[in-house]
Amino acid sequence: MQEWVLILLKTIGLFILVWAAVRLLGKKSLTQIDTVNFMCYFIIADITLLASVNIVPLFYAFIVLITWISLPIALDYLSIKSKMLHDLIKGKESVLVKHGKIMEENLLKTRMTGEDLLAQLRSKNVFNLADVEFAVMETNGEINPFLKSHKKPITAYDLSIKVAPQAEPQTVALDGNLLEEPLASLGLTPEWLKTELNKMGVALENVFIAQVDSSGDLYLDLFDDVPQLPPPKIKEMLYATLEKCQADLTTFSLETEDTEAKTMYSRNAQKLEDLLKRLRPYLLR
Amino acid sequence: MTVASQVKQTLASLKGASGTLRVYSTQTRDEEARGMFTEALEETQAIIEDLENRLKTLEFEEPQYKGN
Repeated sequence: MQEWVLILLKTIGLFILVWAAVRLLGKKSLTQIDTVNFMCYFIIADITLLASVNIVPLFYAFIVLITWISLPIALDYLSIKSKMLHDLIKGKESVLVKHGKIMEENLLKTRMTGEDLLAQLRSKNVFNLADVEFAVMETNGEINPFLKSHKKPITAYDLSIKVAPQAEPQTVALDGNLLEEPLASLGLTPEWLKTELNKMGVALENVFIAQVDSSGDLYLDLFDDVPQLPPPKIKEMLYATLEKCQADLTTFSLETEDTEAKTMYSRNAQKLEDLLKRLRPYLLR
Repeated sequence: MTVASQVKQTLASLKGASGTLRVYSTQTRDEEARGMFTEALEETQAIIEDLENRLKTLEFEEPQYKGN
């Protein structure tokens, strides 16, 4: 066999092996891995290269590869099982800012300068050191700040506003194709989607993305954006209708002279007003 | 516009709203939100019933406007 065919076959074989190995090593992205894992990837890549161009014999390369693949997996497994080994293998996170004060010794241990710390904080959108209550360097070198409570982004909880719970939206059509599985998980059928699309006067082929939100409303993005689709406004309309009915009932209660009807109207107007208050977070947001 | 026809109009929009509420009370995935919509549906149904009864009385009192 010719030399280049051999190299080609070897490379393809090694590619499949390394691909499987990297999948086995876990799902973490390159920015998340610690130094040891990074080294593993590096050595796996190096050995693969050297073996595929015949600098290292294939058999030796296999031994090295298998070792560098199985050791990190074994270490990962051990560090899941034992907290002590976890700290030993992966290292511990170090606290860099505590109670708003920088811990200079810990900063020195992580070989960071004050400038580095500030730069890292800025990349987390924290420009003012005075806003930081606590900051920690994770084992992968990332710095995570915990802001002082008055500098934290405001939430609905802080404002004591009730918000309706929402589940994640499901994508039910992509590139003009129905996605059966997410539809089924919503308890909907392909026929339902077709009917909804018909109602809006849109062909399935024209749909780039269709999503169903947790209250079952459909949102569409079309390939040709010429037919202007109104965004789903059903909930707002419903709220407005109920509001109008409430106002009507109040008017009736003022206009009628029959006392029995008067109480009936005003009772129901009150009921509707209470209902509107409770429905507000669900219908308007 | 007579009183009866005004009540009829309100009744119609209330019925429409309760229809929409019924749709949401079945198609919403979140348990809590679905409960809220079901509750709202029941309350609007009660109001609809009251209005229908009132309408009957009105039509009895002013039979000349029946059907408007």
